[in-house]
Amino acid sequence: MTDPTPEAAVPVARDLPKDAAHRLEELEHGLFTSDLSVNEFLLVKEAGFHPLGFVMGSSIYHIGIQTRKWGESQELSKLTEAMYTARELAMTRMEEEAQELGADGVVGVRLDVNYYEWGNDSAEFIAFGTAVKAEDGNSYLNALGKPFTSDLSGQDFWTLMQTGHVPQGLVMGTCVFHIAHRKLTQALGSMGQNVELPNFTQALYEARELAMTRMQDEAGQLNASGIVGVRLEEKSHQWGSHTIEFLALGTAVTKTTGEVTLPKPTTIISLDN
Amino acid sequence: MTDLTGSVDPAGPPGPAAGDLPEAAVRRLQSDAFSSGLTVPDFAACLDLGLEPVALVQGFCVMQWGWYGPGSGYMRGMSPYAVASGGGGGYSETYRCPHGFVSAEHRTWGQNLEQPWVEAAWTQGYGSAYARMIEEATDMGAHGVIGVVDRVGTLADTGNTEFHFLGTAVKVDGGQPPAGGVPWSTYLAGQRLTKSIEAGFMPVAVVASLASVRVWAYCMTEYLMEGQVGMGWGGYASSGPQLVDQVSKAHMAARQLARKHVREQLVGDELHGATIDVATRELAQGDEVIDCTLRGNRVRRFKDFDPIAAPRPTVRLG
Repeated sequence: MTDPTPEAAVPVARDLPKDAAHRLEELEHGLFTSDLSVNEFLLVKEAGFHPLGFVMGSSIYHIGIQTRKWGESQELSKLTEAMYTARELAMTRMEEEAQELGADGVVGVRLDVNYYEWGNDSAEFIAFGTAVKAEDGNSYLNALGKPFTSDLSGQDFWTLMQTGHVPQGLVMGTCVFHIAHRKLTQALGSMGQNVELPNFTQALYEARELAMTRMQDEAGQLNASGIVGVRLEEKSHQWGSHTIEFLALGTAVTKTTGEVTLPKPTTIISLDN
Repeated sequence: MTDLTGSVDPAGPPGPAAGDLPEAAVRRLQSDAFSSGLTVPDFAACLDLGLEPVALVQGFCVMQWGWYGPGSGYMRGMSPYAVASGGGGGYSETYRCPHGFVSAEHRTWGQNLEQPWVEAAWTQGYGSAYARMIEEATDMGAHGVIGVVDRVGTLADTGNTEFHFLGTAVKVDGGQPPAGGVPWSTYLAGQRLTKSIEAGFMPVAVVASLASVRVWAYCMTEYLMEGQVGMGWGGYASSGPQLVDQVSKAHMAARQLARKHVREQLVGDELHGATIDVATRELAQGDEVIDCTLRGNRVRRFKDFDPIAAPRPTVRLG
C-alpha cells in the first residue's frame, strides 16, 4: 500500500483569486481582520505575536467511488488519497495567503468539509485561520520554510509558548476504511455467544493506526519533537455506515529553550454566580 | 515530588493477553516525535509534574453483542424460573402474583435477575482493549498512561460492540526505566491529576465494571407501570403515586452490583473520581434491562494530605 505522502499529493498552487489579492493588499497596509476573540487577541499579543489577517484556502474536490468487497474489511486507498489531497490543497492555499502577508504562522486553524446539493460526489474543503507575525523580529517559519499552522486557540497558543515549545504545523493523517458486512453463516455460527470478533478488532486497529502513523510521518517531515492535542475523528460522510473516514489531527511542536516559564497556577474561588 | 516511576501491581480490569500490534502501530511507536492526545493546558501541567509524553496509545476489542443468552428475545414465554435455574447465579429476586388466577395475558411470575453472561462479555471486551493499550505503553517503556478515554459503542450497523481505549503514555523525566512492572493508568490528566497527587494519591489503574439486571415484570409491576392500578383490582385499588417495588429494587441492585464488582478490583486501594452511568433499555413490554457502568481511578495513598494554598476570591469583570 502506498501512503499518500504530501510531496506526491500536493500540487503547487500559486493561484490566488483577484479579490483575495486585493484583500491581502489592504491587510498589508495595517488594517487587519481576524476571527480571534478579544481574549485570544490579547494572549496572542502577550505571546509576542500580532495578527496580520484572516486567511483561508479552499478546494472543491470530486470524491469518486471505489468498489469494495462486501465481506472484507479493507482500506479504500483512492478515497483516502482524495480526502487527504483535498485537505492538503486547502491548507496549502491558506499557507500561501499567509505567505503573501509575510506571516510567521497561522493560529486557530479550522478545517471544514461542506457538501452541497449541486455537487454530486464532491465536497468543499476549507481551511481558515488568523495569520500572525512575531514582534521580536525572529523568524518562526517551520522546517519547510513555510508559516507554521496550528489549530490551537489563542489561549492554548500562549500556554504552549510558555512550555518552551513552538508550533510547527497542523499535521494530519487519514484513512478511509470499509468495515466488512458479516455473512449470515458467520453470524449464525457464533449465535448464542458474546465473543470477540478478532477480524473486526484488527481492522479497526489498523485503520486508526494508519491515520495516526501518516500524521506522525508529517510531523517527521517538519522535524517536530512531538504532536500535542491529537484528535481522532470518525465520520461516514455520505458513504453509508460501513465506510468510515478515520482522521487524525494534531499540532506538531518543536522544543526550543526547553524552559518552562509557565507560572504555578493559583487556585481561585469565583464570587460570581 | 512523588516517585511515579514505581511499578504497581498488575492492576486494571481483567482480560486476556493482547495480540500482535499492526505494522502501522509499530512504525508509529518507533518514531522519534512523541504524540499526545493531551490538550495544551494538560500538556503544560504534565510537563510541570515532570512527566514527558511518549505516545498516544490505544487498544481495541470488537465483541459480538447478541442477546442470545438465557433470557433473550427468542426465549420469551419461558418461565422465569427456567431462566433463573440456568442463569449462572448472581442476584435474583422473584415476585409472585397475588391474584391467584392464570390466563395467557396475566403475568403470574416476575423476576429481577443479574445477567452474569452480559457482564462477563463486557468485562472481556473492556479488559482486552485495556490490556492492549497497556501493552503499547509497556512497549514504549512508559511509566504510566494519563488522560485515558474509553468508549463503548456500536460498530457501524453490524450490531457489534466496540471497546476503544485511548491514552497518553508518559515517562517520568530522568526516572529509572520501569522495573518490569505494569504502567499505571488514570482517567485524569492536567491540573486534576496534579491536584490528586498533591492531595497524596498515586494513580494505580483505571477500573470499571458493568452490572446488568433484567427485569421481567409480573402483573402488579405491569399495572403500576401503566398507571392502571385502581381500575378495579379489588384490594389493590388505590390512586396517586405509588412505589413500583420491582423496578426500584432492580435499579438499586444494579448500582450495588456495579459497586461490588469495582470494590473487588480495588484490593484495598481507594477509588476517586468515579462516574456512574445507567442505561435502561426496554426489550419488549414488561421486559427491561438496566445496565449500570461505574468507572473510576484506583489510587493509593502515598503521603498525608497536603493542604493546597487558600484560594484567592475573584470576580470576573464582564
